[in-house]
Amino acid sequence: MKATFVMLLIASHISWGATEGSCPTNMVQVPAGAYQPLFRAAGDPETRQVDSFRMDPSPVTNGQFLEFVRANPRWRRSQVKRLFADEHYLQHWAADFDLGSTQPDQPVVWVSWFAAKAYAAWQGKRLPTVDEWEYAASASPTRLDGRNDPVFQAALQRWYSTPAPEVLPRVRLSVPNIFGLYDLHGLVWEWTSDFNSATFTGDSRSGGGVDRQFFCAAGSIGAKDTADFPAFIRYGFRSSLKASYTVHNLGFRCAKSLSETTTQKLTNGNADIQNQHPSTQNKN
Amino acid sequence: MKTFSAVVALLLSLTVIPSTLADAPPDDGLPPCCRKDLQPGKPLADGSIYQLESKWTSDVGREVQLRVLRGKPQIVVMFFANCQWACPLLVHDLKRIEAALPDDRRKDVGFVLVSFDSKRDTVEALHAYRLKNELANANWTLLRGNPDDIRELAAVLGVNFREDIPGQFVHSNLITVLNREGEITGQVKGLNQPTSSALELLKKADAK
Repeated sequence: MKATFVMLLIASHISWGATEGSCPTNMVQVPAGAYQPLFRAAGDPETRQVDSFRMDPSPVTNGQFLEFVRANPRWRRSQVKRLFADEHYLQHWAADFDLGSTQPDQPVVWVSWFAAKAYAAWQGKRLPTVDEWEYAASASPTRLDGRNDPVFQAALQRWYSTPAPEVLPRVRLSVPNIFGLYDLHGLVWEWTSDFNSATFTGDSRSGGGVDRQFFCAAGSIGAKDTADFPAFIRYGFRSSLKASYTVHNLGFRCAKSLSETTTQKLTNGNADIQNQHPSTQNKN
Repeated sequence: MKTFSAVVALLLSLTVIPSTLADAPPDDGLPPCCRKDLQPGKPLADGSIYQLESKWTSDVGREVQLRVLRGKPQIVVMFFANCQWACPLLVHDLKRIEAALPDDRRKDVGFVLVSFDSKRDTVEALHAYRLKNELANANWTLLRGNPDDIRELAAVLGVNFREDIPGQFVHSNLITVLNREGEITGQVKGLNQPTSSALELLKKADAK
């Protein structure tokens, strides 16, 4: 069993290596699959299906975001409207077009949801949904279901309980997960298109979930796995955000639906992954 | 003939002028969404939600941008017509606020319902909802939009929602008061709150 995973890992790395060499910003095609959401309605299936989609291998960097700001005056620090970004927008830069001591290959932070969305649209892409992000992030470097990977779990617990460092590391210093995606954990939090889909208030970890005074809910929503501390932290963090907020350790990466792209053949690595994953049998 | 038409036009315009000069727009039988922009040309405030470019369709089938609501304080709620649980209460809350307004004020406040459900809440469904709930044309605007724009407006208003099972949305119960410029004056959280909270916010909206 272990051998299969190692083989799989090597196979996937070879193919990713080839694409990255030619173009470092190539998106990764994440095969269809399923993950176990933290919150679900009573009577919902245990897992949620996610269609195949493309995702940037790493978060958008300061250097990339600077290009966007240059091309789109309304997203300059000095021009942005308060509705679309709070007063801390890009505050780690020295000026509109001056990164100051910030490095171009660090992930961009202090960006609002609107800014992230506008960047993605400028690239002909979009932000990933919560489902897509959580599904992609549930994989470990060696396994599709990272919950069964004790090393990965230990690393997650460490990162999610440690405050962000003063100086953020560069992107892609970590080991990619089995899909070839870097930095989903351990670097920055990331915006999702439907970050405001979380519907619980305060610390509802103990079960109840939806506060019926504040939310209209047809079925009762409860946390699936209250022991999944990292997931709980992510859902809690997202639910505390507003679209104009900018935060010192919140960045983003882009995604794209397969239908929006020119069809590209699945790499061998991906095909292997698909064959391995029990929940993808009916897809494609 | 030309002179005659000109005179008729002049007479007509004279008779119309008094009502257009009044503060309240003419009640021409159209919901507020479908009247002309009340303050065209003036730049929008930095925090105005009327900066959103999204297009919406009203329950009379007119395509509009949110900025047509400019010029009056608006009370905004996101809802869906099929909602069995909280939305009827939310709409009831809005009607209570409307009833609690002083008579001379009632025409000067708009009520906006924006649907979460772009699939089922068609123009016809929204119009049926208006009739069923007896929402007066003069004060109420019902809007539908596409999923991305709904998500964006919700994000701006701080409304969280998710389609739980097809056609059923879990969502925040949140009443937002916008001032004449479309800036958020404040919000009332939860159901069955005393109307005084919203009326206070309307006063604050007036002050700006």
